[in-house]
Amino acid sequence: MTDSKYFTTTKKGEIFELKAELNSDKKEKKKEAVKKVIASMTVGKDVSALFPDVVNCMQTDNLELKKLVYLYLMNYAKSQPDMAIMAVNTFVKDCEDPNPLIRALAVRTMGCIRVDKITEYLCEPLRKCLKDEDPYVRKTAAVCVAKLHDINAQLVEDQGFLDTLKDLISDSNPMVVANAVAALSEIAESHPNSNLLDLNPQTINKLLTALNECTEWGQIFILDCLANYTPRDDRESQSICERVTPRLSHANSAVVLSAVKVLMKFMEMLPKDLDYYGTLLKKLAPPLVTLLSAEPELQYVALRNINLIVQRRPEILKHEMKVFFVKYNDPIYVKLEKLDIMIRLASQANIAQVLAELKEYATEVDVDFVRKAVRAIGRCAIKVEQSAERCVSTLLDLIQTKVNYVVQEAIVVIKDIFRKYPNKYESVIATLCENLDSLDEPEARAAMIWIVGEYAERIDNADELLESFLEGFHDESTQVQLQLLTAIVKLFLKKPTETQELVQQVLSLATQDSDNPDLRDRGYIYWRLLSTDPVAAKEVVLAEKPLISEETDLIEPTLLEELICHIGTLASVYHKPPSAFVEGSRGVQHKRLPGSAGSGESESPDPGSAAGVTEAPPAVIPSQGDLLGDLLNLDLTPTTTTGPPPPASSGMQMGAMDLLGGGLDSLMGDESEPPPIPLRTDTRQSPRLPHQSPSPPDYSPTELGGDIGGNSAMGAAFGAAPASMPTSFNAPVSGGLDDLFDLGGGVGMPMGALNPPKAVWLPAMKAKGLEISGVFVRRAGVIQMEMTLTNKAMSVMSDFAIQFNRNSFGLAPAGPLQILTPLSPNQSIEAALPLSTVGPVMKMDPLNNLQVAVKNNIDVFYFSCQYPISMLFVEDGKMERQVFLATWKDIPNDNESQFQIKDCHLNSEAASNKLQSSNIFTIAKRTVEGQDMLYQSMKLANGIWVLAELRVQAGNPNYTISLKCRAPEVSQSVFQNYEAVLKN
Amino acid sequence: MISQVFILSSQGDHLIYKDFRGEAGSDVVGVFYEKVTALTGDQPPVVMSRGDLHFVHVRQGGLYWVATTTADSSPFTVIEFLNRLAALVKDYCGSLSEKSVQVNFALIYELLDEVVDYGYIQTTSSDVLKNFIQTEAVCSKPFSLFDLTNVGLFGAETQQSKVAPSSAATRPVQSSREQGGKSEIFVDVIERMSVVIGSDGVVMKTDVEGEIRVKCFMPSCSGYGASVRVDECSFHEAVRLDEFNSSRILRLCPSQGEQTVMQYQLSDELPSAPPFRLHPTIERDSGGRLLMYLKLRCDLPPKSAAINVCVTVPVPRGSVSVSQELSSPDQSAELKLQSRAIEWNIPRFAGGTQLSALFKLDASALGPAPLLEVGPVVLAFELPQLAVTGLQIRFLRLSPVQPGPSQRWIRYVTHSDSYVIRV
Repeated sequence: MTDSKYFTTTKKGEIFELKAELNSDKKEKKKEAVKKVIASMTVGKDVSALFPDVVNCMQTDNLELKKLVYLYLMNYAKSQPDMAIMAVNTFVKDCEDPNPLIRALAVRTMGCIRVDKITEYLCEPLRKCLKDEDPYVRKTAAVCVAKLHDINAQLVEDQGFLDTLKDLISDSNPMVVANAVAALSEIAESHPNSNLLDLNPQTINKLLTALNECTEWGQIFILDCLANYTPRDDRESQSICERVTPRLSHANSAVVLSAVKVLMKFMEMLPKDLDYYGTLLKKLAPPLVTLLSAEPELQYVALRNINLIVQRRPEILKHEMKVFFVKYNDPIYVKLEKLDIMIRLASQANIAQVLAELKEYATEVDVDFVRKAVRAIGRCAIKVEQSAERCVSTLLDLIQTKVNYVVQEAIVVIKDIFRKYPNKYESVIATLCENLDSLDEPEARAAMIWIVGEYAERIDNADELLESFLEGFHDESTQVQLQLLTAIVKLFLKKPTETQELVQQVLSLATQDSDNPDLRDRGYIYWRLLSTDPVAAKEVVLAEKPLISEETDLIEPTLLEELICHIGTLASVYHKPPSAFVEGSRGVQHKRLPGSAGSGESESPDPGSAAGVTEAPPAVIPSQGDLLGDLLNLDLTPTTTTGPPPPASSGMQMGAMDLLGGGLDSLMGDESEPPPIPLRTDTRQSPRLPHQSPSPPDYSPTELGGDIGGNSAMGAAFGAAPASMPTSFNAPVSGGLDDLFDLGGGVGMPMGALNPPKAVWLPAMKAKGLEISGVFVRRAGVIQMEMTLTNKAMSVMSDFAIQFNRNSFGLAPAGPLQILTPLSPNQSIEAALPLSTVGPVMKMDPLNNLQVAVKNNIDVFYFSCQYPISMLFVEDGKMERQVFLATWKDIPNDNESQFQIKDCHLNSEAASNKLQSSNIFTIAKRTVEGQDMLYQSMKLANGIWVLAELRVQAGNPNYTISLKCRAPEVSQSVFQNYEAVLKN
Repeated sequence: MISQVFILSSQGDHLIYKDFRGEAGSDVVGVFYEKVTALTGDQPPVVMSRGDLHFVHVRQGGLYWVATTTADSSPFTVIEFLNRLAALVKDYCGSLSEKSVQVNFALIYELLDEVVDYGYIQTTSSDVLKNFIQTEAVCSKPFSLFDLTNVGLFGAETQQSKVAPSSAATRPVQSSREQGGKSEIFVDVIERMSVVIGSDGVVMKTDVEGEIRVKCFMPSCSGYGASVRVDECSFHEAVRLDEFNSSRILRLCPSQGEQTVMQYQLSDELPSAPPFRLHPTIERDSGGRLLMYLKLRCDLPPKSAAINVCVTVPVPRGSVSVSQELSSPDQSAELKLQSRAIEWNIPRFAGGTQLSALFKLDASALGPAPLLEVGPVVLAFELPQLAVTGLQIRFLRLSPVQPGPSQRWIRYVTHSDSYVIRV
């Protein structure tokens, strides 16, 4: 007889049969029946109807049967809470059983019955079991505290179980210690600020002692707990490291990784000149290497972790290059991960070996892998200068194979090599040109076109080559079109005589026949540059390009630090912080590495551009933006600029085109009289900005239009501004350019409404590289939140969403945030979010404060901003005269508030007009003794009326305003709004 | 913390489902199966997620062993745990198959209950567990020619199973309690070698990963020793290392069942030359055909032999057919168009001998540089009764001396892991 009969399918009356068997007198029969019930449960059948009958079998001295019944109870107690209570007595009795197995079983099962009612019965038995003489019972009870805490946290605190649990950390049995630590760690996570797991040198010592004795799984709990401790000084740090290192040779990879995590963290505190530091570095390599001999799943997880470790401390594995060479039978995901690590470890010492390997890989069968291998050769060339020549010749060898995808990848990376080492390897261009016809991938075509344009003067038939691409212009992808446009303009600037026709052809294709705004914008910009000042155009278009950085895909340092704290966890596999994928409060605590003892926080581990980007203070940019905003809105004050003001307006109009869309053709019409573009005095600065798309792979060409537009405007407006422009693609600057550009667009709006410049709401420092600046505007009765999102991190951002906290006027997004494409690094995107005023309401302080949460694939970020209250003034806010009079009288005088507006030089007429554009309506005007009294009304979106009396005395710059409103809280904000509107 | 554990058959049938923390419903089992079957080859299958729930799984015995977690737990812990769980189930049920899991579900639930509590892993040591486990295993049929899972012994999937009765090692640990007198211990030394030989015949890399596995059916403690020179090694927790550094003796108290007592690695300096050398000559004849003349030499000691040698030679794109001349009739060769390679199979290859093969390759349209597209040659093989590191178990002493007869089996085997010869 085998148990497989339990799985036979449902028959009629099966439940009934089982019921009879469960109530049988024979123990064997009962046992078999319970087994059948559990088998049905496993395959998903509902056997809850049998609850009372199964519970009846509970009182037995047969341990096997008892376990089966308990198993059933755990599953169904939740759906049958009343019945579960029936079982309580037996549980309580079992907790007193002389057999420790039964005591533990009872307390374990009780904890798993997630029914509120049972908790009160659980307390007494649990208390006893926590002090049980048998360690097996104690360790089970320790876990039970965590279970109970999950059901009823308050009860656990009230009953003092937490203290008992803390005492168990000093238990003599290591298993008990491990479970107590695990339970406390979990409970502590839900109380981030509590001092539950009070880690001090004494408890640490106890933990370290237990570490040597407990099971491998217990060691993991203890090591993970140790990782949360911050030692007081380097000496303590060293002594903990010394006691943890033996774990590195454990066979269980989880123990090894947890130990690595502790060591990586505590190493930060050790001075680098210490002998022990070097010893530790040496000890870390072998266990990491050993992990690579595990099965592919573990290998993959290990490689993801090693990738992090190598970025943080490349010295650990610098001699272990060979172990990352791929084996032909590795799964592809392991191969790709290994390839990545190989590049990170590549140095002058081992580059020959690496290149030989990569060349072998490039002849393999798997297309994806071959592509990555070819790219890797390019990355080697860029990273290790001494190897560049060898890399280039390797790539040329590969091109000779004429294997289509190899050739295309090779061309893409050779373009990057040209960028990194200009004027060195141009001799290979001839070979590249031979392969022109075989290129069918956009990226390769774009790269080739870039090369042709960039070196047009050395390629005799450059014009023919480019012309051949032009034939199918509209079938090309945007990337290729943009590249072709730029390349032909470059060619024209280099050989103006023979290519005039070509350039006109491409410009008209780009500006007249294309629907793509990026392409059109870029087309116009070139067109105007060329038609007004070819010299300036030359300096802009043929500017010297900044060098591309060595490592293109490093993880941002702050994120890397956090991930290092999470070595061996899911975060290290996803390369995302836990808060990005773990729900709720648990993951929100961001872990940081401790500062080094010797040199403090200032020590930056990765010299290079990556660190520079995050540390550059973003505050500089808004101030520039404000400056330009002022320039545009007020009379231009030429004192701050060396160039005349018009450049700003030209930039502005270009921006406006983007917004107007349909108005383009009319603008195009007067091309004969293009606006003056005075790039005269200051072109020396602007051309140094990046505006050519063949740049690092993460630099998207779609933003180029914006960059160039902003670029010329900025160059002109800030002739005296920053003397040293960044040499690499520095995120804050391009963000700043976009800001300027947007500003232009905003001001160019035909309404002439008051649009303050965008303010930075969320600096990139606080949001892992996401910068949000924005402004509130009211357009055609709709409140819009116009934002510029800039990605200043090193990785692509996607999955944006936005939410508001409850606020005073119930502002809420009227639709989802429309950002459909992922945001590449250094890219900015505009988003206009229409708002409704029907959201939940809560009074804020100040009244017009709005708290916003923005989510992306990395994290959720919070910021607060203030909207001008005039956003809420609706268009039908003009009151009837009679009603106004009656209402004014009706509102008690207590609700009236008076304010002074100083230094305002408008007459009453002008003031009235200005206010009207903000939906503040003048109902009547009275002149008494040379004093104009304006009676005005406005209505807030939530239906509140505000009445105002504005007194303007001719010759007196100080106005007096009285506001009356049934909700006097708003008066202050309304007054501020008056002030803002009138003073502009 | 582990939230749920479940075991699925390869068809997605629920065999075992246990929820430890009540964080997700049982519907996730279906979600997992959908996700895992939708994976393409180049996606890492290790961690998958749905919302806040993360799946970690391994495949053992043709089954999916899956754990879910909601927190940021360690995938290493979970993968190690699942592997241990599979090993435990194998130890307790005798073998690992859909059938054995199905018939022993009550036992497995009981095991799970003891092994994990509220998502915290408690212990996976069969010694500790045997104190708690009440249910007896139900053995599936002892041995059948059709049931191939019984033929593969533990550890190495060797077909040379003459050293031990084929079903001896596949019985449940617990039944040994009743069998009483008969105590047996199996020690396997399994090595996997990775070699890269450059086109100039220089050995660029050799790497051997080895492990000593013990399967023990002893009622009580025992110990054994080994004399080794290794680069890196790690040990099972039951190993006492007191005498390892001085006299290379491992003393251990193995639990019942199977375990890996030692893992080691040796890089670059092997005591002997790599077992195979290849001398290829590749040229194009006047008819545009590609001629490949391969001489393969086996440098094993004359008494040893390699079995199941499979030589894979990647060929250029556009190859259509191959004609072959092999040196003996038991060999075979075939052009696999799918993988673009010739597979040359040699069932037995004695040490100190040399084989040759001539392949003439017809191609419809060869690329401009077909010679560049040949290679690298990959070898797969098995070396029975041989540990390439030279590791030997000199003695296996049981102490105290066991009453009654006890049987000791020591086996060696070396597999190729990645043996690449560039041409």
